[in-house]
Amino acid sequence: MSNVAGAPGTAEKSDGAAAKRGSEALHYARRNPKLLIGLGIVLGLLLLGIIAPFFVDHDPNEYIGPQGQAPDGEYWMGTTSFGQDIWAQFVYGLRATFLIGIFGGGVAFVIGTAVGFVAGYKGGIIDEILNMLTNVVLVLPALVVLIVVTAYLEVRGLFVQGVFIGLTSWPWAARAVRSQALSLANRDYVDLARLSGRRTWKIITSEIAPNMSSYLVMSFILLFGGAILIAAGLDFIGLGPSNGVSLGLMLESAVGWGALQRGMWWWFIPPGLGITVIVASLYILNVGLDEVFNPKLREL
Amino acid sequence: MTLRVNDLKVYYQTLRGDVHALDGVTFDLADGEIMGLAGESGCGKTTLGKSLIRLDSRMKHVGGTIELDGKNVPIADEKAMVPLRYHEISLIPQYAMSALNPTRKIGRMIKDLMKARGVDPASIEDELHRRLELVGLEQDVLNRFPIELSGGMKQRVVMVISTLLNPSLLIADEVTSALDVSTQRAVAESMVEFRDRGFVKSMVFVTHDLSLVYQMADTIMVMYAGHVVEKASAKTIVNEPKHPYTQMLISALPEVGSTEEQGRLEGIPGKPPGLLDPPTGCRFKDRCPLAFSKCSERPPLVEIEPGHWAACWKTG
Repeated sequence: MSNVAGAPGTAEKSDGAAAKRGSEALHYARRNPKLLIGLGIVLGLLLLGIIAPFFVDHDPNEYIGPQGQAPDGEYWMGTTSFGQDIWAQFVYGLRATFLIGIFGGGVAFVIGTAVGFVAGYKGGIIDEILNMLTNVVLVLPALVVLIVVTAYLEVRGLFVQGVFIGLTSWPWAARAVRSQALSLANRDYVDLARLSGRRTWKIITSEIAPNMSSYLVMSFILLFGGAILIAAGLDFIGLGPSNGVSLGLMLESAVGWGALQRGMWWWFIPPGLGITVIVASLYILNVGLDEVFNPKLREL
Repeated sequence: MTLRVNDLKVYYQTLRGDVHALDGVTFDLADGEIMGLAGESGCGKTTLGKSLIRLDSRMKHVGGTIELDGKNVPIADEKAMVPLRYHEISLIPQYAMSALNPTRKIGRMIKDLMKARGVDPASIEDELHRRLELVGLEQDVLNRFPIELSGGMKQRVVMVISTLLNPSLLIADEVTSALDVSTQRAVAESMVEFRDRGFVKSMVFVTHDLSLVYQMADTIMVMYAGHVVEKASAKTIVNEPKHPYTQMLISALPEVGSTEEQGRLEGIPGKPPGLLDPPTGCRFKDRCPLAFSKCSERPPLVEIEPGHWAACWKTG
């Protein structure tokens, strides 16, 4: 029986001891330019946001320099029309932006995917209930709710702001994950897994989620970007963290004080470019991750 | 007697009413028997295969019993069925090609499955390697992703997984329909080999490929519109069928090397009846050349000679 006709696998030589999955992923990761570039930029900006503020010896919102100064040796990114150091604002803003993105995006991601998976996989009455809940939250005017809630809070830190942004921005992620889970839940291998009597939780994490991992990462990235932008909006109407700095706030104030009309490009380009580059490189990173972990997309 | 199905009725629930997909199916399956289950599309053969292992959410168990090795199989009770699956009743699905999760390596998947079934994966590892070898696969496939295997290899992997726990009954649903003929033969031979070695006690082989089933099966059961029309040894069904439907089905098969000059193949005129509101009596009567007044009553499945069952007033 071992020489069955039509058994192409037998002729192939097994090339050495099979590498473990971890090192195999590393092998592909090291050769994937998208992953390397995306990861490089994100990590670079993150490190900048973590480390650079320690070398800024003044408050980012302090009026310390000449007003409306173009970039030079002393003020690397110039100053605002009030004389604030834009470099200081930028690095503090990066830190705040990453924090808000991770908290806000993270909370929204956890709620959204949990609701989406359960609704999509379980179906039936559970799906109806969760879907109704999702739709209710979706049509709530999130910004108004945020304004009301943050206005009542006594301490307004980045963390609290992030959590509340997360609590209001999960519905679309839930809907997106639900629709994907719905289609994957009917795949044959999921059907077979169900036949084996595995737990729902196990089936979701081992059969469904890995097959939509790029989708999940992309949801997180979009939620991350969305949280940054919502935070910018809140900051702008004065409901941000007290005395806060963020890339969104910088952008808003640059626009608000007419940087565009006055040609003060150094005021609006760093924050705008910062947000764009973070989100874009996260996206590139996601494409790279997909190519590394999805065996169908791997190239040698 | 391994399997005894008695007057099994399974309906599909739809908004327009119940579809009578299986309407009183009765048959026995002996130890070591490979039974081919044949019939047109929509005759209920896949439904029967599914009913033996799991009803999907639209299927409703209306009546009848299934006994396996003397024990009742509670097909309507999802929870009670869980311990039986893979251990007692196993399935090679119609979709074996897509039955493997594309993001998991084969070996890891098998381990997960065994754990879910309460079996220590280490305890069956040697057996797993032996069986892979038996179907002509290297151990190396365990370290590969499904995408790295050909269709036939995937099919054989699924075959090994399904039978790893030595189930009493194996349901093979159209397992060869997506394979080319040479691979079909290899798969069919391995199935027989599995039976001969006692990996599975008996097998229901759902197919519409009568010539393949004639090669490998001991018996063939022919279904029509939710009823069993005839069951006999493979030779009898192909060479001397008694039921008019089986006769027409066999005569509709082309033979290798036949040309048009030797006469066009006969089809069966007409269409199978809709099962939403099935006709009374014999369901084949509208297409049957031998139909007469008595056919408005349902003909019972009777043993017309030892081991040969048919449901037709003309044969009984």
